[in-house]
Amino acid sequence: MMAPDDNPPFRKVLIANRGEIACRVIRTLREMGIASVAIHHPVEARARHVREADQAIEISGETPVAAHLDIAQIIAAARAVGADAIHPGYGFLSENARFARAVAEAGLTFIGPDADTIALMGDKISARQFAADHGVPVAPSVMPTQDLAEFTRQATAIGFPLLIKAAAGGGGKGMSIVRSAEELEGAARLAASEAQRYFDDGRVYAEVFVERPRHIEVQVFGDGKGGAIHLFERECSVQRRFQKIIEEAPAANLPADLRDEICASAVRLAAASNYRNAGTVEYILGADGRFFFLEMNTRLQVEHPVTEMITGLDLVRLQIEIAAGRDLPFAQDAVTANGHAIECRICAEDPERDFLPETGTILHLEAPQAAYLRFENALDRGQRVTADFDPMLAKLVAHGPDRAVATDRAIAALHELALLGVKTNIDYLARVLGHPAFAAGELHTGFVVQHKAALAAAEPDDATRDKVLIAAALGLRDFRDLVLGVPEPHASIGHWRN
Amino acid sequence: MVLKLDLDGTVHHVTILARRPHLVLSVDGRQHVVESLDEAGDGSRALTLDGGPVAFARAGSADGVIVRLGGRSFALYRRDAAADASAAGGANVVRAPMPGTVIVVHKRVGDSVQRGETIVTIESMKLQMKLDAPRDGEIAEIAAREGEGFDKDTVLARLVAPAEG
Repeated sequence: MMAPDDNPPFRKVLIANRGEIACRVIRTLREMGIASVAIHHPVEARARHVREADQAIEISGETPVAAHLDIAQIIAAARAVGADAIHPGYGFLSENARFARAVAEAGLTFIGPDADTIALMGDKISARQFAADHGVPVAPSVMPTQDLAEFTRQATAIGFPLLIKAAAGGGGKGMSIVRSAEELEGAARLAASEAQRYFDDGRVYAEVFVERPRHIEVQVFGDGKGGAIHLFERECSVQRRFQKIIEEAPAANLPADLRDEICASAVRLAAASNYRNAGTVEYILGADGRFFFLEMNTRLQVEHPVTEMITGLDLVRLQIEIAAGRDLPFAQDAVTANGHAIECRICAEDPERDFLPETGTILHLEAPQAAYLRFENALDRGQRVTADFDPMLAKLVAHGPDRAVATDRAIAALHELALLGVKTNIDYLARVLGHPAFAAGELHTGFVVQHKAALAAAEPDDATRDKVLIAAALGLRDFRDLVLGVPEPHASIGHWRN
Repeated sequence: MVLKLDLDGTVHHVTILARRPHLVLSVDGRQHVVESLDEAGDGSRALTLDGGPVAFARAGSADGVIVRLGGRSFALYRRDAAADASAAGGANVVRAPMPGTVIVVHKRVGDSVQRGETIVTIESMKLQMKLDAPRDGEIAEIAAREGEGFDKDTVLARLVAPAEG
């Protein structure tokens, strides 16, 4: 890790976010001697990120999400508290070019790329074109159109299977796989209407669908002056509903020359766009070793800790230094990778019911601790988990000298993690990591679907259920008091012995 | 004392039948003998149950307990006084399987529907879902309003058989 900063580049940074990422950013700001400001909707007044920040300011909105997306209000808050920069975290306004521009126009520093870069990469079509122009491989495709007849004709000419996507899309919205000409028009129509509804932009395009693709992405940093480096790749192939649940660094079983090629291509893209700050270039990788540009995320990502664990770098610190106009503090050959790291996204959802979101109140939380673990969260006992935000509750990250050890450590940590009050995917994640195909590195984005049966929780038999019920009963103090022979009248008045 | 514990939506009954010389418990009517309970400081525990060892770990609060046994976690909640939340209605109601927001209401009161026809589209945490008619019938009530939020298990629509309507 880098040394504490004697001369911090900013005095005060407002974090335009909430939850674990806000807490994560606050931690680095504190280490750098920079004051932190949290924002919150009234319903979040007692949230962890509010308590951990040096200062907090309330923002209003019809819903908490609306408040966190209110550009004018957030900038006004930053000015009111005398912040000199804004860190957007991920999600919310982190990839909103209008926000980045408004921050700059308000005389504040946006800790991220400049607005034009966000706009360029935010449109999948312009990003694709830019990538192709700079020698980054892109999949054969049909350009976006709202003329569905023309679209169908061109798409059929490429051949099947095809993946239909929304031009302005993300998160799997407006996406579908088409395997024959007959399905094409209906699928395109559906994708266009979904795209229109979600992104206010009905343009769709189609590209060659790579069967059983792996999702490989490269963490890059640019200085905004044409200088760029990579911090190696991550593998995020294990997904459900097109959303990542397990990420690791480095990618499993990736040949060294292919890794070099992918990373070099990402650096080329970042350098060509005069990229400033943290970014991630995402690729799909086919079984034949061909890789294609997918998109560039112009922000810090959820899964940045796996890169931090193998490189020993603090990516938030790097973001802050670059945002302040400093140069990249080291050259490419000074970045080395050590061991392997795996991140599990703990989500409030029910894997047995197609990962449907779950809500509840956190009654108990007990997280494992070890030098090789990170448990990134902003959870509190008594906290309501509502449907207002994304289902991700926390991230559990394990590091080890190699992939097998990191996997074993992650599984053990998931088994130790106890969260009561809301149903989660904790056990499911442990089953994924324990699956022989995961251990063998046989990963692709359809992993969860392919191994659905093996990953399902077995219904416990009566004998197991009885053991569990007895173990649970003996853990409840009033019941145990009865068992141990504490006289009934005393036992019934509650926890008098402690 | 009968202890009621909810495991995955089913309430189970644990009763003390005898305390000495060994603890005899009934779980849903099945008898078990606990000879010893050994609690180590690190959270690991062991029971001698029906003559055999059972190793487990446990964590919890006043409201419930998590038991980890055989590589799995089980969340159990006390239901000592709780009423069963799952109300009647069966095949005549369309209930929200998750909390969320109503995106589109496809049918109106009085419309005839066939089993499998979509009545409401909902969304929660970036996931969209169509809720379909559980049977043939007529829409008797639509409680869903586009743009409005609801909790899990909220009844969003009611059906009646065509003859009843």
